[in-house]
Amino acid sequence: MNRKRAVLLGLLASLSVFMSGCWSERQLTDMAIVSAVGIDQDEEGKYVASYQFFNPGNIAGGLQGGGGGQSPPVAVYTATGDSIMEVHGNMSKKVSREPYYSHANLIVISDELAEKEGIASVLDAFSRGSQFRVTTTVVIARDVKAKDLMTTLTALDKVPSQKIMDTLETTEKAMGENINIDLQEVIRGLVSPGKEPLISGFTVKGDVKEGKKQESLQATDLPMTIEADGNAVFKNGKLVDWIDGSGARSVLWVLDRVESTTITIKWADKKDAVSYRVVRQKTNVSADIKGGKPRISVGIHMEGDIGEVRVPIELKDPDVLEKVEKEIREQTRKEIEQAIRRAQKNKTDVFGFGEVFHQAEPKEWKKVKKSWEDSIFPNLNVEVKVEAYVRRTGLRNNSYLSDIKSEQE
Amino acid sequence: MYKNHFLGKSEGKKSRKVGGAMSPFFKGKKKAAPTQPVDPMPGSITSNLQKNLDVIKQTFGNSPDIIIRPLKTGFAKVDAAVIYVQGLVDSQLLNDFLLESLMKNDFPYDNQPSPEMLDNLSDVVIALGGVTKEKEWSKLLESLLGGATLIFIDGIGEALAVASTQGGETRSISEPSTQSVIRGSREGFTENIATNISMVRRIIKSPDLWIESMKIGTQTHTDVSIMYMNNLAESDVVEEVRKRLKKINIDSVLESGYIEQLIEDQPASPFPQVYFTERPDVIAGNLLEGRIAIFVNGTPFVLLVPVVFLQFFQTPDDYYFRFDIATATRFLRIIIFFISLVGPAIYIAAASFHQEMIPTQLMLILASQRETVPFPAIFEALIMELTFEILREAGLRMPKAIGSTVSIVGGLVIGQSAVQAGIVSPPMVIVVAITAIASFATPSFSVAISVRLLRFAFMGLAAAFGFFGIIIGLIMLTVHLCSLRSFGVPYMAPFAPYRSAEFGDAVVRAPWWATKKRPALSNPENMEREGEAQMPAPPQSRVIKNKSTEKGNEDES
Repeated sequence: MNRKRAVLLGLLASLSVFMSGCWSERQLTDMAIVSAVGIDQDEEGKYVASYQFFNPGNIAGGLQGGGGGQSPPVAVYTATGDSIMEVHGNMSKKVSREPYYSHANLIVISDELAEKEGIASVLDAFSRGSQFRVTTTVVIARDVKAKDLMTTLTALDKVPSQKIMDTLETTEKAMGENINIDLQEVIRGLVSPGKEPLISGFTVKGDVKEGKKQESLQATDLPMTIEADGNAVFKNGKLVDWIDGSGARSVLWVLDRVESTTITIKWADKKDAVSYRVVRQKTNVSADIKGGKPRISVGIHMEGDIGEVRVPIELKDPDVLEKVEKEIREQTRKEIEQAIRRAQKNKTDVFGFGEVFHQAEPKEWKKVKKSWEDSIFPNLNVEVKVEAYVRRTGLRNNSYLSDIKSEQE
Repeated sequence: MYKNHFLGKSEGKKSRKVGGAMSPFFKGKKKAAPTQPVDPMPGSITSNLQKNLDVIKQTFGNSPDIIIRPLKTGFAKVDAAVIYVQGLVDSQLLNDFLLESLMKNDFPYDNQPSPEMLDNLSDVVIALGGVTKEKEWSKLLESLLGGATLIFIDGIGEALAVASTQGGETRSISEPSTQSVIRGSREGFTENIATNISMVRRIIKSPDLWIESMKIGTQTHTDVSIMYMNNLAESDVVEEVRKRLKKINIDSVLESGYIEQLIEDQPASPFPQVYFTERPDVIAGNLLEGRIAIFVNGTPFVLLVPVVFLQFFQTPDDYYFRFDIATATRFLRIIIFFISLVGPAIYIAAASFHQEMIPTQLMLILASQRETVPFPAIFEALIMELTFEILREAGLRMPKAIGSTVSIVGGLVIGQSAVQAGIVSPPMVIVVAITAIASFATPSFSVAISVRLLRFAFMGLAAAFGFFGIIIGLIMLTVHLCSLRSFGVPYMAPFAPYRSAEFGDAVVRAPWWATKKRPALSNPENMEREGEAQMPAPPQSRVIKNKSTEKGNEDES
């Protein structure tokens, strides 16, 4: 009796394994691994999504593949639809395997779509689906279609999406002129009334058509390159402006996202005479109320080395160094103030001053919340304080330029 | 602490003997276990020599290895016979000290065969130890089969059994092949129980090393001895071992594996609950921690009880090497355990359920390699594991001379061709190979083989439920391990139950100068292991002395 019952129990238990087991199983060979998604909009207002799929055999090489390089490392399929989910459905008509999004690390949205319809309505599907990661990087295709960024092949990194991500990461670290922002941060920026998202732009320079072909990779100087190009500024989810160069860096200064960058200053009437390499920086943004009006103070503290001098300069002299430091301070402050003025003109709070004010004065914030972007932020009193220190002058003290000049005299 | 694990309390210590000198005499003195029907021939011998010899011949069916050597002894040249089993006796000893003395014996008072004559023979003539007078047939036959020589004299209703003629060919002591160490004794146990016991006694020279012996097996009458430190072992555990051994009623014991399977706590568990070793130093070390050794004649593998799970991951050199090295190796072995348990299972789960957990680059490599493989991951893994098990089994059973063929066939056919043909993917080969090496690196073969069994169960779970299944399996495994007992001692000690005092010899091996106490399974009255302040230190004065600091020797030239 007892034994029978045990056997029955065992049978039932094993049934649960054999009947329910494996339902969510999917083999590697049954899936098409998506590496990036690019979204354009056609004339009728439909979404045109280009999926960049990994072509594993051509990336990993290995024994059977006969070595990569014969055919492209990625394949791009395009489908249209009124919504992202419809695109996903239509994609199955073209792709033999089920798209698998867990390894997608890039979303590209065309500037056209971002200007006309805005990015907000596109991103919901990506943040809702369980496969898509919220840490996926988001970029805007500037002056090209999102599809072009999907199809253009690249040299060092075999996979274009990987190249875009790595480029963004590298340039953010080295120059601080482009922002590496992920899906989660974009959505947070979109919903916050005190902050607007800033999204890096990418473009294709050169021949877009040639860029699709594997043969174009045979050259050392490629006919096309994917490049980081400015940052898109949004207002109410729509693209309103692009900021480039030092303006973009100023925004990143305030957002405390600059890791290292190079500041060049004027010396002895020569432009860009001294280059200062920032190695450590910290930004503090604080808010308070002065005279019944919100006031923002930005404090930047930076330390760095002299990277290059192009004029004879007495770097051994502490007074001279102090002067250099002062010059750097002025330069940075001016740049930042300029960037703030431009943002105020656009009425877009890309710096997140609203959020800072929210945290500092929660009660006041409730009163100004509605009107922050349109009336308060443009007239905001922002005080910028910069501290800069030269810690080292590199392997040299005075430049050899000083010696050359003195001999000529 | 362990007392409450036993339901029955011991009835006091009985029949313990203090093992004397290192002689093999105990064999003849042993009493058969009461439960065993060992009396093949009731009754006593008669005073008629010819009749007695006929009985022996009949009993053994005229087996030619039972040698009956008739002779005349004493002044009166009385008829006598010497009986022994060829090969079980030392013939040199027999000839020089027994046959010769008996034949040359002309002790003047023995004119008539009388019971005193046997005493005289024993006292004056036979220059050998272990002489006993017997008349029971059963006792006589038992000692005869144990290697003793019997002396029958016509007209006397008793016989002499000379136990110390025991000898014959045995394997000499050699290096143990199953538990090799880098540092440590090179001695391994042999098939001879007397030699084995003496090897341990040579290490622990203490009168507290007690030995009890018994015979198990209604046909084989195999000698089984238990050995323990009387002052260190818990008497309850000793009593439990004694009880379980006494309970055994089986026709034969050919190896200690018979005993192991008959006395373990939970026969349904895949995990070994009795430790076996070929090394006397391991036995000595464990006896000193309060464990009990079970020696079985005819095998070099000596059993140890009670054991804990971690013991199967420890090697003798752990204690011989410096503690930091030993600790690092022990950590490595825990990792090895998990690799050999769930290595392929993790691969299967990741490749068929959780692709999002694999880093993209690695995922692409896996995907590209699996592109041509026609099977799902689980079948691929099963094929490879099965192939490996076949190879392993073949390598184990094949003569050494053709062993290399197996490795060539295995290496070429499986490693190279299967991958090139696209039947299995290279990552799978790597996973299986690492798992295989890991399972060989486990110090204890008995755990390695049970882990090998469980690995297949884990592969099945992984194929059905992914990581979820693996975790369920691990939880069930943990519960099972924690529920196991070895002779009342919790198997997962010192983790469950948690005993922080014993962590010095668990995964970490504390240095010897910090190992103050014995483990909790020893006798609680005798826990001190070493004296105070055992930590070595440099000498007090740390001044470096050399010539130039000495005065009066400043002449540098």
